[in-house]
Amino acid sequence: MTENKKPLSDRAKEVGKRIGSLRDFLEFLEENGQCITWSDDVLPEPDIRNIAVAAGRDSMNGPAVIFNNMAGYPGKKLVIGVHGSFTNLALLLGHPKGTTIKELFYDIISRWGDDKPLLDFIEPDEAPVNENRITENFNLYDLLPLYRINEYDGGFYIGKANVVSRDPTDPDNFGKQNVGIYRIQVQAPGEFTLLSIPAHDMGRHIMAAEKNNVPLKISVMLGNHPAMCMFAATPVGYEESEFAYASQMMGSPLRLTKSGNGMDILADSEIVIEAELMNGVRTFEGPFGEFPGSYSGVRKIPRFKVTAISHRNDPIFENIYIGRGWTEHDTLIGLNTSAPIYAQLKKDFPEVVAVNALYQHGLTGVISVKNRFAGFAKSVAMRALGTPHGTMYLKNLIMVDDDVDPFDLNEVMWALSTRTRADDTIVIPNMPLIPIDPAAEIAGKGHRLIIDATSFMPPDKLGSDSKIVTPPAGPEIDEIAKMIQVLQNGENS
Amino acid sequence: MISCPRCQAAQDKIRNEHQGHDAQGDLVWTIYHCNACEFTWRDSEPATSIDYDTREAFFRVDPEKPYPVIMPPAQYK
Ligand SMILES: [Zn+2]
Repeated sequence: MTENKKPLSDRAKEVGKRIGSLRDFLEFLEENGQCITWSDDVLPEPDIRNIAVAAGRDSMNGPAVIFNNMAGYPGKKLVIGVHGSFTNLALLLGHPKGTTIKELFYDIISRWGDDKPLLDFIEPDEAPVNENRITENFNLYDLLPLYRINEYDGGFYIGKANVVSRDPTDPDNFGKQNVGIYRIQVQAPGEFTLLSIPAHDMGRHIMAAEKNNVPLKISVMLGNHPAMCMFAATPVGYEESEFAYASQMMGSPLRLTKSGNGMDILADSEIVIEAELMNGVRTFEGPFGEFPGSYSGVRKIPRFKVTAISHRNDPIFENIYIGRGWTEHDTLIGLNTSAPIYAQLKKDFPEVVAVNALYQHGLTGVISVKNRFAGFAKSVAMRALGTPHGTMYLKNLIMVDDDVDPFDLNEVMWALSTRTRADDTIVIPNMPLIPIDPAAEIAGKGHRLIIDATSFMPPDKLGSDSKIVTPPAGPEIDEIAKMIQVLQNGENS
Repeated sequence: MISCPRCQAAQDKIRNEHQGHDAQGDLVWTIYHCNACEFTWRDSEPATSIDYDTREAFFRVDPEKPYPVIMPPAQYK
Protein backbone atom coordinates (compact mmCIF):
# COMPACT_ATOMS: atom_id res chain seq x y z
CA MET A 1 0.00 0.00 0.00
CA THR A 2 3.09 2.17 -0.05
CA GLU A 3 2.07 3.80 -3.34
CA ASN A 4 -0.97 5.33 -1.64
CA LYS A 5 0.99 6.74 1.27
CA LYS A 6 0.54 10.46 1.66
CA PRO A 7 2.24 12.81 4.10
CA LEU A 8 0.04 13.74 7.05
CA SER A 9 -1.59 17.16 6.98
CA ASP A 10 -0.25 19.81 9.36
CA ARG A 11 -3.45 19.60 11.37
CA ALA A 12 -3.17 15.81 11.67
CA LYS A 13 0.42 16.19 12.88
CA GLU A 14 -0.62 18.85 15.36
CA VAL A 15 -3.43 16.68 16.74
CA GLY A 16 -1.12 13.66 16.87
CA LYS A 17 1.40 15.66 18.88
CA ARG A 18 -1.21 16.98 21.28
CA ILE A 19 -2.93 13.67 22.08
CA GLY A 20 -0.80 11.39 24.20
CA SER A 21 -3.49 9.75 26.29
CA LEU A 22 -7.20 9.22 26.80
CA ARG A 23 -7.32 12.34 28.99
CA ASP A 24 -5.83 14.51 26.25
CA PHE A 25 -8.35 13.17 23.77
CA LEU A 26 -11.35 13.74 26.06
CA GLU A 27 -10.25 17.34 26.54
CA PHE A 28 -9.89 17.76 22.78
CA LEU A 29 -13.31 16.21 22.15
CA GLU A 30 -14.86 18.49 24.76
CA GLU A 31 -13.40 21.59 23.11
CA ASN A 32 -15.02 20.45 19.88
CA GLY A 33 -18.41 19.72 21.43
CA GLN A 34 -17.92 15.96 21.18
CA CYS A 35 -17.66 15.01 24.85
CA ILE A 36 -20.32 15.68 27.49
CA THR A 37 -20.39 15.09 31.23
CA TRP A 38 -23.45 13.43 32.75
CA SER A 39 -23.34 14.80 36.28
CA ASP A 40 -26.91 13.96 37.36
CA ASP A 41 -26.84 10.93 39.62
CA VAL A 42 -27.34 7.61 37.86
CA LEU A 43 -27.83 4.02 39.01
CA PRO A 44 -25.24 1.68 37.48
CA GLU A 45 -28.15 -0.31 36.02
CA PRO A 46 -30.12 0.47 33.95
CA ASP A 47 -29.16 4.15 33.65
CA ILE A 48 -25.65 3.79 32.18
CA ARG A 49 -26.91 1.32 29.57
CA ASN A 50 -29.83 3.59 28.66
CA ILE A 51 -27.68 6.68 28.27
CA ALA A 52 -25.00 4.81 26.32
CA VAL A 53 -27.56 3.50 23.84
CA ALA A 54 -29.15 6.91 23.39
CA ALA A 55 -25.79 8.63 22.87
CA GLY A 56 -24.77 5.96 20.36
CA ARG A 57 -27.79 6.45 18.12
CA ASP A 58 -26.11 9.21 16.15
CA SER A 59 -23.28 7.31 14.51
CA MET A 60 -22.03 10.45 12.73
CA ASN A 61 -21.97 12.95 15.59
CA GLY A 62 -22.74 11.27 18.92
CA PRO A 63 -20.53 12.46 21.81
CA ALA A 64 -18.43 10.59 24.34
CA VAL A 65 -20.18 10.63 27.74
CA ILE A 66 -18.38 10.98 31.06
CA PHE A 67 -20.23 9.82 34.20
CA ASN A 68 -19.01 11.27 37.50
CA ASN A 69 -21.99 10.71 39.77
CA MET A 70 -22.81 7.00 39.88
CA ALA A 71 -24.70 5.68 42.91
CA GLY A 72 -22.38 3.64 45.11
CA TYR A 73 -19.27 4.79 43.27
CA PRO A 74 -18.55 8.21 44.81
CA GLY A 75 -15.59 10.00 43.23
CA LYS A 76 -15.32 7.47 40.38
CA LYS A 77 -15.30 8.34 36.67
CA LEU A 78 -16.53 6.31 33.72
CA VAL A 79 -16.44 7.24 30.03
CA ILE A 80 -18.29 5.53 27.18
CA GLY A 81 -18.60 6.36 23.48
CA VAL A 82 -15.05 7.68 23.00
CA HIS A 83 -15.01 6.03 19.54
CA GLY A 84 -18.79 6.20 19.27
CA SER A 85 -19.11 8.43 16.22
CA PHE A 86 -17.29 9.05 12.96
CA THR A 87 -16.84 12.68 13.96
CA ASN A 88 -14.88 11.57 17.03
CA LEU A 89 -12.66 9.46 14.76
CA ALA A 90 -12.34 12.38 12.33
CA LEU A 91 -11.12 14.66 15.13
CA LEU A 92 -8.58 12.05 16.23
CA LEU A 93 -7.21 11.87 12.69
CA GLY A 94 -6.97 15.65 12.40
CA HIS A 95 -10.08 16.31 10.32
CA PRO A 96 -12.81 18.86 10.93
CA LYS A 97 -16.35 17.99 11.95
CA GLY A 98 -18.45 17.19 8.89
CA THR A 99 -15.83 14.88 7.39
CA THR A 100 -17.52 12.04 5.49
CA ILE A 101 -16.98 8.33 6.21
CA LYS A 102 -15.55 7.93 2.71
CA GLU A 103 -12.96 10.65 3.40
CA LEU A 104 -11.95 8.87 6.63
CA PHE A 105 -11.70 5.58 4.75
CA TYR A 106 -9.26 7.06 2.24
CA ASP A 107 -7.32 8.75 5.02
CA ILE A 108 -6.77 5.43 6.81
CA ILE A 109 -5.65 3.81 3.53
CA SER A 110 -3.24 6.69 2.89
CA ARG A 111 -1.65 6.29 6.35
CA TRP A 112 -0.52 2.76 5.59
CA GLY A 113 3.10 2.45 4.69
CA ASP A 114 6.48 1.37 5.87
CA ASP A 115 7.31 4.12 8.33
CA LYS A 116 9.56 3.42 11.27
CA PRO A 117 7.64 2.80 14.49
CA LEU A 118 7.57 5.87 16.74
CA LEU A 119 7.95 4.51 20.25
CA ASP A 120 9.45 6.37 23.21
CA PHE A 121 10.42 4.24 26.20
CA ILE A 122 10.31 5.85 29.64
CA GLU A 123 11.28 4.52 33.05
CA PRO A 124 8.44 2.93 35.05
CA ASP A 125 8.85 5.41 37.92
CA GLU A 126 8.30 8.31 35.49
CA ALA A 127 5.17 6.80 33.95
CA PRO A 128 1.85 8.43 34.95
CA VAL A 129 0.20 5.00 35.03
CA ASN A 130 2.38 4.17 38.05
CA GLU A 131 1.21 7.14 40.15
CA ASN A 132 -0.54 4.53 42.29
CA ARG A 133 0.49 0.93 42.77
CA ILE A 134 -1.54 -1.81 44.47
CA THR A 135 0.18 -5.12 45.26
CA GLU A 136 -2.27 -6.85 47.59
CA ASN A 137 -5.95 -7.01 48.62
CA PHE A 138 -7.16 -6.45 45.06
CA ASN A 139 -10.76 -5.40 44.59
CA LEU A 140 -11.80 -4.73 41.01
CA TYR A 141 -15.31 -3.86 42.24
CA ASP A 142 -13.84 -1.03 44.26
CA LEU A 143 -11.31 0.14 41.65
CA LEU A 144 -13.70 0.23 38.66
CA PRO A 145 -17.28 1.51 38.41
CA LEU A 146 -18.49 -1.81 36.99
CA TYR A 147 -22.01 -2.40 35.69
CA ARG A 148 -24.01 -4.85 33.58
CA ILE A 149 -23.75 -3.75 29.94
CA ASN A 150 -26.80 -5.69 28.64
CA GLU A 151 -29.55 -7.00 30.89
CA TYR A 152 -28.86 -10.72 30.40
CA ASP A 153 -25.07 -10.55 30.50
CA GLY A 154 -23.69 -13.11 32.95
CA GLY A 155 -21.91 -10.46 34.97
CA PHE A 156 -20.00 -7.18 34.82
CA TYR A 157 -17.83 -6.85 31.76
CA ILE A 158 -14.77 -4.86 30.81
CA GLY A 159 -15.41 -4.42 27.10
CA LYS A 160 -12.60 -2.16 25.95
CA ALA A 161 -9.39 -3.53 27.42
CA ASN A 162 -6.19 -3.68 25.41
CA VAL A 163 -4.52 -6.83 26.69
CA VAL A 164 -0.77 -7.35 26.30
CA SER A 165 0.66 -10.85 26.34
CA ARG A 166 3.87 -12.51 25.21
CA ASP A 167 4.52 -15.99 23.93
CA PRO A 168 5.09 -17.76 27.29
CA THR A 169 7.70 -20.04 25.67
CA ASP A 170 9.62 -17.05 24.29
CA PRO A 171 8.90 -14.20 26.74
CA ASP A 172 11.86 -12.01 25.73
CA ASN A 173 10.73 -11.69 22.13
CA PHE A 174 9.21 -8.20 21.56
CA GLY A 175 7.97 -9.28 18.12
CA LYS A 176 5.87 -12.06 19.62
CA GLN A 177 4.18 -9.63 22.00
CA ASN A 178 0.53 -9.20 21.19
CA VAL A 179 -1.95 -6.46 22.03
CA GLY A 180 -5.56 -7.42 21.50
CA ILE A 181 -9.06 -6.55 22.65
CA TYR A 182 -10.62 -9.45 24.54
CA ARG A 183 -13.78 -9.34 26.57
CA ILE A 184 -13.23 -9.69 30.29
CA GLN A 185 -15.81 -10.73 32.89
CA VAL A 186 -15.00 -9.94 36.51
CA GLN A 187 -15.46 -13.19 38.48
CA ALA A 188 -14.17 -12.25 41.93
CA PRO A 189 -12.54 -9.19 43.54
CA GLY A 190 -9.15 -10.28 42.22
CA GLU A 191 -10.03 -12.69 39.39
CA PHE A 192 -11.54 -12.53 35.92
CA THR A 193 -12.19 -14.62 32.84
CA LEU A 194 -10.92 -13.57 29.42
CA LEU A 195 -12.42 -14.91 26.21
CA SER A 196 -10.10 -15.95 23.41
CA ILE A 197 -10.19 -18.72 20.82
CA PRO A 198 -7.30 -20.86 19.54
CA ALA A 199 -7.00 -18.73 16.39
CA HIS A 200 -6.23 -15.54 18.35
CA ASP A 201 -2.71 -14.74 19.55
CA MET A 202 -3.96 -14.84 23.14
CA GLY A 203 -5.48 -18.27 22.52
CA ARG A 204 -2.12 -19.54 21.28
CA HIS A 205 -0.40 -18.08 24.33
CA ILE A 206 -2.89 -19.74 26.71
CA MET A 207 -2.49 -23.14 25.06
CA ALA A 208 1.32 -22.83 25.00
CA ALA A 209 1.41 -21.95 28.71
CA GLU A 210 -0.84 -24.83 29.74
CA LYS A 211 0.84 -27.37 27.47
CA ASN A 212 4.32 -26.54 28.77
CA ASN A 213 3.09 -25.77 32.28
CA VAL A 214 4.75 -22.34 32.33
CA PRO A 215 3.20 -19.11 33.66
CA LEU A 216 1.35 -16.81 31.27
CA LYS A 217 1.53 -13.22 32.42
CA ILE A 218 -0.61 -10.48 30.91
CA SER A 219 -1.14 -6.76 31.36
CA VAL A 220 -4.66 -5.42 30.90
CA MET A 221 -4.55 -1.76 29.83
CA LEU A 222 -7.70 0.31 30.49
CA GLY A 223 -8.35 3.90 29.41
CA ASN A 224 -5.81 4.04 26.63
CA HIS A 225 -4.58 6.32 23.91
CA PRO A 226 -7.50 6.34 21.44
CA ALA A 227 -5.32 5.10 18.56
CA MET A 228 -4.49 1.96 20.52
CA CYS A 229 -8.12 0.88 20.82
CA MET A 230 -8.69 1.67 17.17
CA PHE A 231 -5.70 -0.18 15.81
CA ALA A 232 -5.27 -3.04 18.30
CA ALA A 233 -8.44 -4.42 16.75
CA THR A 234 -6.81 -4.48 13.31
CA PRO A 235 -5.37 -7.85 12.38
CA VAL A 236 -1.60 -7.48 12.03
CA GLY A 237 0.83 -10.38 11.58
CA TYR A 238 1.89 -12.52 14.55
CA GLU A 239 5.36 -10.96 14.50
CA GLU A 240 4.27 -7.33 14.07
CA SER A 241 3.71 -5.03 17.02
CA GLU A 242 0.36 -3.31 17.50
CA PHE A 243 2.16 -0.51 19.38
CA ALA A 244 4.33 0.16 16.33
CA TYR A 245 1.32 0.03 14.04
CA ALA A 246 -0.74 2.44 16.16
CA SER A 247 2.12 4.95 16.33
CA GLN A 248 2.70 4.74 12.58
CA MET A 249 -1.00 5.31 11.92
CA MET A 250 -1.00 8.39 14.17
CA GLY A 251 2.32 9.63 12.83
CA SER A 252 3.32 10.57 16.37
CA PRO A 253 5.14 8.73 19.17
CA LEU A 254 3.47 6.55 21.76
CA ARG A 255 5.09 6.47 25.20
CA LEU A 256 5.76 2.97 26.47
CA THR A 257 7.07 1.68 29.76
CA LYS A 258 7.50 -1.72 31.40
CA SER A 259 4.76 -3.21 33.53
CA GLY A 260 5.66 -4.89 36.81
CA ASN A 261 5.37 -8.29 35.09
CA GLY A 262 7.59 -7.48 32.13
CA MET A 263 5.17 -6.42 29.39
CA ASP A 264 5.48 -3.27 27.34
CA ILE A 265 2.55 -1.05 28.27
CA LEU A 266 1.38 2.46 27.44
CA ALA A 267 2.94 4.81 30.00
CA ASP A 268 -0.09 7.12 29.95
CA SER A 269 -2.93 4.60 30.33
CA GLU A 270 -5.40 5.17 33.15
CA ILE A 271 -5.18 1.70 34.69
CA VAL A 272 -3.06 -1.40 34.08
CA ILE A 273 -4.05 -4.69 35.71
CA GLU A 274 -1.27 -7.28 35.82
CA ALA A 275 -2.51 -10.86 35.95
CA GLU A 276 -1.52 -14.47 35.54
CA LEU A 277 -3.36 -17.37 33.91
CA MET A 278 -4.70 -19.98 36.36
CA ASN A 279 -3.41 -22.93 34.34
CA GLY A 280 -6.02 -25.56 33.62
CA VAL A 281 -8.93 -23.71 35.26
CA ARG A 282 -12.13 -23.10 33.27
CA THR A 283 -15.01 -21.00 34.61
CA PHE A 284 -18.58 -20.28 33.49
CA GLU A 285 -18.63 -17.15 31.35
CA GLY A 286 -21.40 -15.35 29.51
CA PRO A 287 -23.85 -14.73 28.11
CA PHE A 288 -22.61 -11.45 26.66
CA GLY A 289 -24.45 -9.23 24.17
CA GLU A 290 -22.14 -9.35 21.16
CA PHE A 291 -21.74 -7.29 17.98
CA PRO A 292 -24.29 -9.07 15.78
CA GLY A 293 -26.82 -7.89 18.36
CA SER A 294 -27.34 -11.30 19.95
CA TYR A 295 -26.10 -12.95 23.12
CA SER A 296 -23.27 -15.42 23.01
CA GLY A 297 -23.96 -18.52 25.07
CA VAL A 298 -22.57 -19.73 28.39
CA ARG A 299 -19.21 -21.48 28.16
CA LYS A 300 -16.33 -22.46 30.42
CA ILE A 301 -13.29 -20.38 29.66
CA PRO A 302 -9.77 -19.59 31.01
CA ARG A 303 -9.46 -17.65 34.26
CA PHE A 304 -6.80 -15.21 35.45
CA LYS A 305 -5.80 -13.89 38.87
CA VAL A 306 -4.68 -10.31 39.47
CA THR A 307 -1.05 -9.94 40.62
CA ALA A 308 -0.73 -6.12 40.74
CA ILE A 309 -2.54 -2.95 39.68
CA SER A 310 -1.15 0.41 38.58
CA HIS A 311 -3.34 3.45 38.04
CA ARG A 312 -3.20 7.18 37.57
CA ASN A 313 -4.61 9.55 40.15
CA ASP A 314 -8.42 9.69 39.79
CA PRO A 315 -8.42 7.05 37.05
CA ILE A 316 -11.05 7.13 34.33
CA PHE A 317 -12.61 3.74 33.54
CA GLU A 318 -13.29 3.54 29.80
CA ASN A 319 -15.95 1.08 28.65
CA ILE A 320 -18.08 0.47 25.57
CA TYR A 321 -21.72 -0.27 24.78
CA ILE A 322 -21.99 -3.25 22.49
CA GLY A 323 -25.11 -5.06 21.36
CA ARG A 324 -27.63 -4.55 18.60
CA GLY A 325 -26.24 -1.91 16.25
CA TRP A 326 -25.52 0.86 15.75
CA THR A 327 -23.07 0.83 18.66
CA GLU A 328 -19.63 2.19 19.48
CA HIS A 329 -18.20 -1.21 18.54
CA ASP A 330 -19.34 -0.70 14.93
CA THR A 331 -17.64 2.70 14.68
CA LEU A 332 -14.52 1.49 16.46
CA ILE A 333 -13.77 -1.40 14.11
CA GLY A 334 -15.67 -0.54 10.93
CA LEU A 335 -13.06 1.35 8.94
CA ASN A 336 -10.28 -0.96 10.05
CA THR A 337 -12.36 -3.91 8.87
CA SER A 338 -12.99 -2.26 5.50
CA ALA A 339 -9.45 -1.08 4.73
CA PRO A 340 -7.63 -4.47 4.57
CA ILE A 341 -10.33 -5.95 2.30
CA TYR A 342 -9.90 -2.97 0.00
CA ALA A 343 -6.10 -3.35 -0.01
CA GLN A 344 -6.28 -7.04 -0.83
CA LEU A 345 -8.80 -6.52 -3.65
CA LYS A 346 -6.95 -3.54 -5.09
CA LYS A 347 -3.87 -5.69 -5.74
CA ASP A 348 -5.72 -7.82 -8.29
CA PHE A 349 -8.45 -5.39 -9.32
CA PRO A 350 -7.35 -1.74 -9.53
CA GLU A 351 -10.94 -0.97 -10.61
CA VAL A 352 -12.09 -1.31 -6.96
CA VAL A 353 -12.96 2.17 -5.66
CA ALA A 354 -13.95 1.63 -2.02
CA VAL A 355 -15.10 -1.08 0.40
CA ASN A 356 -17.73 -0.54 3.09
CA ALA A 357 -17.65 -3.42 5.60
CA LEU A 358 -19.04 -1.35 8.48
CA TYR A 359 -22.06 -3.51 9.17
CA GLN A 360 -21.73 -6.10 11.97
CA HIS A 361 -18.00 -6.47 11.42
CA GLY A 362 -18.57 -7.02 7.69
CA LEU A 363 -21.44 -9.53 7.76
CA THR A 364 -22.82 -7.19 5.13
CA GLY A 365 -20.50 -5.31 2.79
CA VAL A 366 -20.85 -2.86 -0.08
CA ILE A 367 -18.11 -2.67 -2.70
CA SER A 368 -17.88 0.02 -5.32
CA VAL A 369 -16.07 -0.98 -8.51
CA LYS A 370 -15.62 0.34 -12.02
CA ASN A 371 -17.15 -2.37 -14.18
CA ARG A 372 -14.76 -3.41 -16.95
CA PHE A 373 -17.32 -5.53 -18.78
CA ALA A 374 -20.61 -7.25 -18.07
CA GLY A 375 -20.43 -9.44 -14.97
CA PHE A 376 -17.05 -8.10 -13.88
CA ALA A 377 -18.36 -6.98 -10.48
CA LYS A 378 -19.27 -10.59 -9.70
CA SER A 379 -15.67 -11.68 -10.25
CA VAL A 380 -14.54 -8.99 -7.84
CA ALA A 381 -17.18 -10.19 -5.35
CA MET A 382 -15.84 -13.75 -5.58
CA ARG A 383 -12.34 -12.48 -4.87
CA ALA A 384 -13.64 -10.54 -1.84
CA LEU A 385 -15.09 -13.78 -0.45
CA GLY A 386 -11.60 -15.26 -0.60
CA THR A 387 -9.90 -12.54 1.45
CA PRO A 388 -8.97 -13.51 5.03
CA HIS A 389 -11.82 -11.48 6.53
CA GLY A 390 -14.24 -12.29 3.72
CA THR A 391 -13.83 -16.02 4.27
CA MET A 392 -15.55 -15.88 7.65
CA TYR A 393 -17.60 -12.68 7.53
CA LEU A 394 -18.79 -11.32 4.16
CA LYS A 395 -22.22 -12.97 4.20
CA ASN A 396 -24.07 -10.41 2.09
CA LEU A 397 -22.30 -8.40 -0.59
CA ILE A 398 -23.77 -5.57 -2.59
CA MET A 399 -21.74 -4.55 -5.61
CA VAL A 400 -22.19 -0.98 -6.85
CA ASP A 401 -20.65 1.13 -9.62
CA ASP A 402 -17.87 3.64 -9.15
CA ASP A 403 -20.43 6.48 -9.32
CA VAL A 404 -22.03 5.23 -6.07
CA ASP A 405 -20.52 6.05 -2.68
CA PRO A 406 -20.74 2.71 -0.85
CA PHE A 407 -20.76 4.55 2.51
CA ASP A 408 -23.85 6.58 1.53
CA LEU A 409 -26.80 4.22 1.98
CA ASN A 410 -29.13 6.56 0.06
CA GLU A 411 -26.92 6.06 -2.97
CA VAL A 412 -26.64 2.30 -2.37
CA MET A 413 -30.43 2.00 -2.17
CA TRP A 414 -30.72 3.97 -5.39
CA ALA A 415 -28.39 1.50 -7.09
CA LEU A 416 -30.43 -1.41 -5.69
CA SER A 417 -33.64 0.18 -6.95
CA THR A 418 -32.43 0.91 -10.45
CA ARG A 419 -29.66 -1.53 -11.28
CA THR A 420 -30.71 -4.96 -10.07
CA ARG A 421 -32.58 -7.81 -11.70
CA ALA A 422 -34.04 -10.75 -9.79
CA ASP A 423 -31.99 -13.23 -11.79
CA ASP A 424 -28.79 -11.27 -11.24
CA THR A 425 -28.11 -12.38 -7.68
CA ILE A 426 -25.95 -15.27 -6.56
CA VAL A 427 -26.52 -17.43 -3.50
CA ILE A 428 -23.79 -19.81 -2.42
CA PRO A 429 -25.00 -22.14 0.34
CA ASN A 430 -22.93 -24.10 2.87
CA MET A 431 -20.07 -21.66 3.22
CA PRO A 432 -17.94 -21.10 6.34
CA LEU A 433 -19.16 -18.31 8.62
CA ILE A 434 -18.32 -17.01 12.07
CA PRO A 435 -20.24 -19.09 14.59
CA ILE A 436 -22.03 -16.11 16.17
CA ASP A 437 -24.28 -15.31 13.19
CA PRO A 438 -27.75 -15.34 14.82
CA ALA A 439 -29.39 -16.47 11.55
CA ALA A 440 -27.26 -19.58 11.15
CA GLU A 441 -29.04 -22.94 11.11
CA ILE A 442 -25.76 -24.61 11.98
CA ALA A 443 -23.35 -22.36 13.88
CA GLY A 444 -20.18 -22.00 11.81
CA LYS A 445 -21.90 -22.42 8.45
CA GLY A 446 -23.83 -19.96 6.33
CA HIS A 447 -24.53 -18.60 2.89
CA ARG A 448 -23.02 -16.00 0.64
CA LEU A 449 -25.40 -13.63 -1.13
CA ILE A 450 -24.06 -11.43 -3.89
CA ILE A 451 -26.33 -8.72 -5.28
CA ASP A 452 -24.90 -7.17 -8.39
CA ALA A 453 -26.24 -3.62 -8.34
CA THR A 454 -23.82 -2.34 -10.97
CA SER A 455 -25.18 -1.06 -14.27
CA PHE A 456 -25.64 -3.28 -17.27
CA MET A 457 -22.95 -3.27 -19.92
CA PRO A 458 -22.50 -4.81 -23.33
CA PRO A 459 -22.86 -7.59 -24.33
CA ASP A 460 -25.92 -7.33 -22.07
CA LYS A 461 -28.67 -5.76 -24.13
CA LEU A 462 -29.82 -2.90 -22.02
CA GLY A 463 -33.40 -3.34 -20.86
CA SER A 464 -34.74 0.02 -21.94
CA ASP A 465 -33.65 3.25 -23.51
CA SER A 466 -33.64 5.02 -20.15
CA LYS A 467 -30.71 7.30 -19.55
CA ILE A 468 -29.44 8.07 -16.07
CA VAL A 469 -29.57 11.68 -14.89
CA THR A 470 -26.10 12.95 -14.11
CA PRO A 471 -26.54 15.41 -11.26
CA PRO A 472 -23.59 17.68 -10.47
CA ALA A 473 -21.11 15.77 -8.30
CA GLY A 474 -17.50 15.81 -7.21
CA PRO A 475 -15.29 17.89 -4.91
CA GLU A 476 -16.98 21.17 -5.88
CA ILE A 477 -20.41 19.90 -4.78
CA ASP A 478 -18.89 18.33 -1.61
CA GLU A 479 -17.44 21.75 -0.79
CA ILE A 480 -20.81 23.46 -1.32
CA ALA A 481 -22.49 20.86 0.92
CA LYS A 482 -20.03 21.73 3.67
CA MET A 483 -20.61 25.47 3.18
CA ILE A 484 -24.34 24.85 3.58
CA GLN A 485 -23.64 23.00 6.84
CA VAL A 486 -21.62 25.94 8.12
CA LEU A 487 -24.36 28.39 7.12
CA GLN A 488 -26.87 26.22 8.93
CA ASN A 489 -24.94 25.37 12.11
CA GLY A 490 -22.15 27.91 12.37
CA GLU A 491 -18.39 27.47 12.02
CA ASN A 492 -18.26 24.68 14.58
CA SER A 493 -20.47 22.29 12.58
CA MET B 1 -33.07 -15.76 52.04
CA ILE B 2 -31.08 -14.92 48.94
CA SER B 3 -30.89 -17.36 46.06
CA CYS B 4 -29.25 -17.11 42.64
CA PRO B 5 -31.46 -15.30 40.09
CA ARG B 6 -30.02 -17.48 37.32
CA CYS B 7 -29.67 -21.02 38.73
CA GLN B 8 -31.61 -20.79 42.01
CA ALA B 9 -28.63 -22.00 44.03
CA ALA B 10 -29.29 -21.57 47.76
CA GLN B 11 -27.78 -18.97 50.05
CA ASP B 12 -24.78 -21.12 51.02
CA LYS B 13 -23.53 -20.85 47.41
CA ILE B 14 -23.86 -17.06 47.30
CA ARG B 15 -20.89 -14.82 47.99
CA ASN B 16 -21.41 -11.31 49.32
CA GLU B 17 -18.96 -9.70 46.93
CA HIS B 18 -18.87 -5.95 47.48
CA GLN B 19 -20.92 -3.13 48.96
CA GLY B 20 -21.28 0.30 47.40
CA HIS B 21 -21.65 3.32 49.66
CA ASP B 22 -22.48 6.94 48.96
CA ALA B 23 -20.17 9.84 49.82
CA GLN B 24 -21.69 9.94 53.34
CA GLY B 25 -20.84 6.28 53.87
CA ASP B 26 -24.41 4.96 53.69
CA LEU B 27 -24.97 1.59 51.99
CA VAL B 28 -26.39 1.97 48.46
CA TRP B 29 -26.23 -1.55 47.03
CA THR B 30 -24.59 -4.95 47.41
CA ILE B 31 -23.00 -7.10 44.70
CA TYR B 32 -23.46 -10.88 45.00
CA HIS B 33 -21.80 -13.75 43.16
CA CYS B 34 -23.07 -17.32 42.73
CA ASN B 35 -20.40 -19.96 43.23
CA ALA B 36 -22.51 -22.52 41.37
CA CYS B 37 -23.09 -20.75 38.01
CA GLU B 38 -20.76 -17.73 38.42
CA PHE B 39 -23.56 -15.19 37.95
CA THR B 40 -22.80 -11.73 39.37
CA TRP B 41 -25.51 -9.24 40.25
CA ARG B 42 -26.26 -6.08 42.18
CA ASP B 43 -29.35 -5.93 44.36
CA SER B 44 -30.35 -2.52 42.91
CA GLU B 45 -30.78 -3.87 39.37
CA PRO B 46 -34.14 -4.09 37.53
CA ALA B 47 -36.10 -7.32 38.05
CA THR B 48 -35.48 -8.36 34.44
CA SER B 49 -31.88 -9.03 35.42
CA ILE B 50 -32.10 -10.25 39.02
CA ASP B 51 -35.52 -11.82 39.66
CA TYR B 52 -35.64 -15.52 38.77
CA ASP B 53 -39.29 -15.47 37.74
CA THR B 54 -39.12 -12.21 35.78
CA ARG B 55 -35.99 -13.21 33.86
CA GLU B 56 -36.48 -14.91 30.49
CA ALA B 57 -36.33 -18.66 31.08
CA PHE B 58 -33.95 -18.99 28.10
CA PHE B 59 -31.17 -17.48 30.18
CA ARG B 60 -31.38 -19.92 33.09
CA VAL B 61 -28.27 -21.97 33.77
CA ASP B 62 -28.10 -25.45 35.22
CA PRO B 63 -24.53 -25.82 36.53
CA GLU B 64 -24.90 -29.62 36.54
CA LYS B 65 -25.35 -29.72 32.76
CA PRO B 66 -22.37 -29.88 30.42
CA TYR B 67 -21.44 -26.56 28.79
CA PRO B 68 -18.90 -26.03 25.98
CA VAL B 69 -15.32 -25.67 27.22
CA ILE B 70 -13.03 -23.25 25.38
CA MET B 71 -9.60 -24.79 24.71
CA PRO B 72 -10.29 -27.79 26.99
CA PRO B 73 -7.25 -28.40 29.23
CA ALA B 74 -7.83 -32.15 28.81
CA GLN B 75 -6.34 -31.85 25.32
CA TYR B 76 -2.84 -31.78 26.80
CA LYS B 77 -3.20 -35.05 28.72
ZN1 LIG C 1 -26.19 -19.34 40.08
